[in-house]
Amino acid sequence: MLTIKVLGSGCPNCKRVEAITRQVLGKLGLPAEVIKVTDYNQIADYAVLSTPGLVINEQVVSAGRIPSEAEVTTWLANAAGE
Amino acid sequence: MDLLTSLTQLFQSGLGNLAAYLAAHVLLCLVPAFYIAGAMTALIPKETVTRFLGRNTPKFISYPAAALAGSVLAVCSCTIVPLFAGIYKKGAGIGPAITFLFFAPAANILALAYTGVAIGPDLAFARLFLSLTFGIGIGLIMALIFRRDDASHDRTTDTLFSGRARLSLGAVVFLLVLVALLLFGTLKVDLLTNTYGQLTLPVPAAAAWEDRLNQLVPFDASQGEEGVTVQGVALIGLLAFIGGSAWLGFEKRLDVLNRWTWTSLSLVVLTLLVAALQVTPAASGLEIALPGRFFGVTLALAALALIARRAFSRQEVSDWLWESWRFVKQIFPLLVVGVFAVGVIRQLIRPEWIQSLAGANTVLGNLAGVVFGVFMYFPTLVEVPIAQMFLSLGMHRGPLLAYLMADPELSLQSILIVSTIIGRVKAWTYVGWVALFSLLAGLIYGAWTDGVSIWLLAGYLATLLAALAAGLYWMNRRNERRALTAAVKGTRVA
Repeated sequence: MLTIKVLGSGCPNCKRVEAITRQVLGKLGLPAEVIKVTDYNQIADYAVLSTPGLVINEQVVSAGRIPSEAEVTTWLANAAGE
Repeated sequence: MDLLTSLTQLFQSGLGNLAAYLAAHVLLCLVPAFYIAGAMTALIPKETVTRFLGRNTPKFISYPAAALAGSVLAVCSCTIVPLFAGIYKKGAGIGPAITFLFFAPAANILALAYTGVAIGPDLAFARLFLSLTFGIGIGLIMALIFRRDDASHDRTTDTLFSGRARLSLGAVVFLLVLVALLLFGTLKVDLLTNTYGQLTLPVPAAAAWEDRLNQLVPFDASQGEEGVTVQGVALIGLLAFIGGSAWLGFEKRLDVLNRWTWTSLSLVVLTLLVAALQVTPAASGLEIALPGRFFGVTLALAALALIARRAFSRQEVSDWLWESWRFVKQIFPLLVVGVFAVGVIRQLIRPEWIQSLAGANTVLGNLAGVVFGVFMYFPTLVEVPIAQMFLSLGMHRGPLLAYLMADPELSLQSILIVSTIIGRVKAWTYVGWVALFSLLAGLIYGAWTDGVSIWLLAGYLATLLAALAAGLYWMNRRNERRALTAAVKGTRVA
C-alpha cells in the first residue's frame, strides 16, 4: 500500500499532478492512499520550495513542476517494488 | 425612462472601456507577456537562484538574489508562499524573505508590461526601481528588528538550498526573443511606427461599419477614450476563437500537445500579426498599412518557432504552453470583468472628488492612495485599469504610484497567509513598513514629476539606505561581540 501526498494549496497545477498520479495508479493497478496537503506549514516541513510537490511514501520525488506520466509511472513502480 | 437611458449609458461606457483594453496595442503587450510568464515558470530551473538563498550566503549576495528570485521565479502565487516560507525558516532568514515577498508583485512581468503600455513607461520604471530599493530596505529593517528570532532559528545548513541547475542557453535566447516580441509590438519609436508598405482591401462598406460601431459604443477622444474599430472587432473575434480552441486543447486532455493546442497557437500568431497592422477604413475600402512593427513581430515569431523546434524537448514545449495557458485562465476572465466594471464606475465618480483628495502631491494625497490600496483587493492586473481611471479623473501621478505600490503588495488575504508563517507581530510590522514606504515612494515620484531634480532625490534615497545599512552592520557587530564575550566567560567558568 502506497501513501502518496500531493503538496499544494489547490492551484490548477496541483490538481493536474493529482489527476496524472491517479491515472497512473489506475493503469498500474496499485492500491494507494492519495492525500492532499494544503497547509503551508506542513508543506514547508518537506524539502519543497515551490508547489506542486509529489511525495511517495514520505519521499519527495518532484517539486515545482508537473512531472510527465512516464516519470510518475517509474516512481510509482519503483516504490511499489520496494 | 430616465433610468433606462442612464443604465444604457453605463453599459456602453463599460463596453467602451473593454473594447479599448482589447485594442491592438494592449494585445501586443499582454499576449507576449503571458507567454513570457509561462516561459519563466516552465523553463527557468528554480535552483539557479535558490542556491544563493541559503543560510550561509553573505548578505550582499542574498538580498539581491532574493530580489532576483522575486522577479523571475515568483510570477505565480504557487511559488511565492512556499519559497517565502523556505527562505524564512530554512534559508537566509527574514530579511531576504521579506525582500523577495515585497519585490515579487512589483517585478511581475505581466504587471510591468501592462502598466508600461496602459499608463506610461515612466510609472512602470519608477515602480520597479523604487520597489527594488525599498524591498531591500524593508528586508534590512525587518532583519534588524527581529534579529533575535532569526538567530534562534536552527543554524544548521540545509540541503534545501544546495541544489544546482543550469539554465540552458536555448531557454535564455527564447526568453530574450519573447521580450523582443513584446518591445517590437509596443515601443513607440520611428523605426517601428513608420509605414513601409500599403495595400487596400476592396471592402467599400468598411467606413460605414466603423460609423455604426462608433454609434454603438460612443467615445470621447478628448478624455483619452478609444472607440471600437473594424480591426478591433476582428481581434475580439479572434480572441474568442483562441479561447475556445485553447480550452479544448488544454482542459480536456492530459497530453497538452494536441490538435486543438496547435490550432489555438496558430490563431495567436494570426492575432499578433493582425494587431501589428494599421487599418484605416476609407471610401475605397480598408486601407492596410504595414508599419515597421509588423516586420519586427513577424521576425520574432519566426525565431521563436525555430528555437522551440530546435532547442526544446517535447516536454519543455508542453510545459511552457501549459503554464502560459494557466496564467491566461487564471487572470484574463477576471481582467475582462474588472475592466468592464471600471468603465461603469468611472461614470459614477466625479472628478472633483479625486482632484480635491489626491490632485496634488501632498502627504494626505499619498496617504489616500496607500489606504485605498491596502483596503481594496483587486485580482492581479485589474489594479492597472483602476489606476488609469484615477489618472483620467485627475489624480496626481505621485499618489497614483503610492496606490500602485500598496495595492498588489498588501491585501487582507496575503497578510493572513504571511502571518501564519512568520507570526502576527512580524506580519503587521511588515504591513506598517510597506504602507510607510509606499507613501514615501509616491512622494518621491510625485516630486520628480513636479520637476524636482532626480539627482537630489537619488541623493536622499541613497542617504536613507546607507543609514539603514550602517545601522544593521553596527547591530550585527555588537551582537557578535556580545556572543563572543559570553562564550569566553563560558569557557572560563568551565
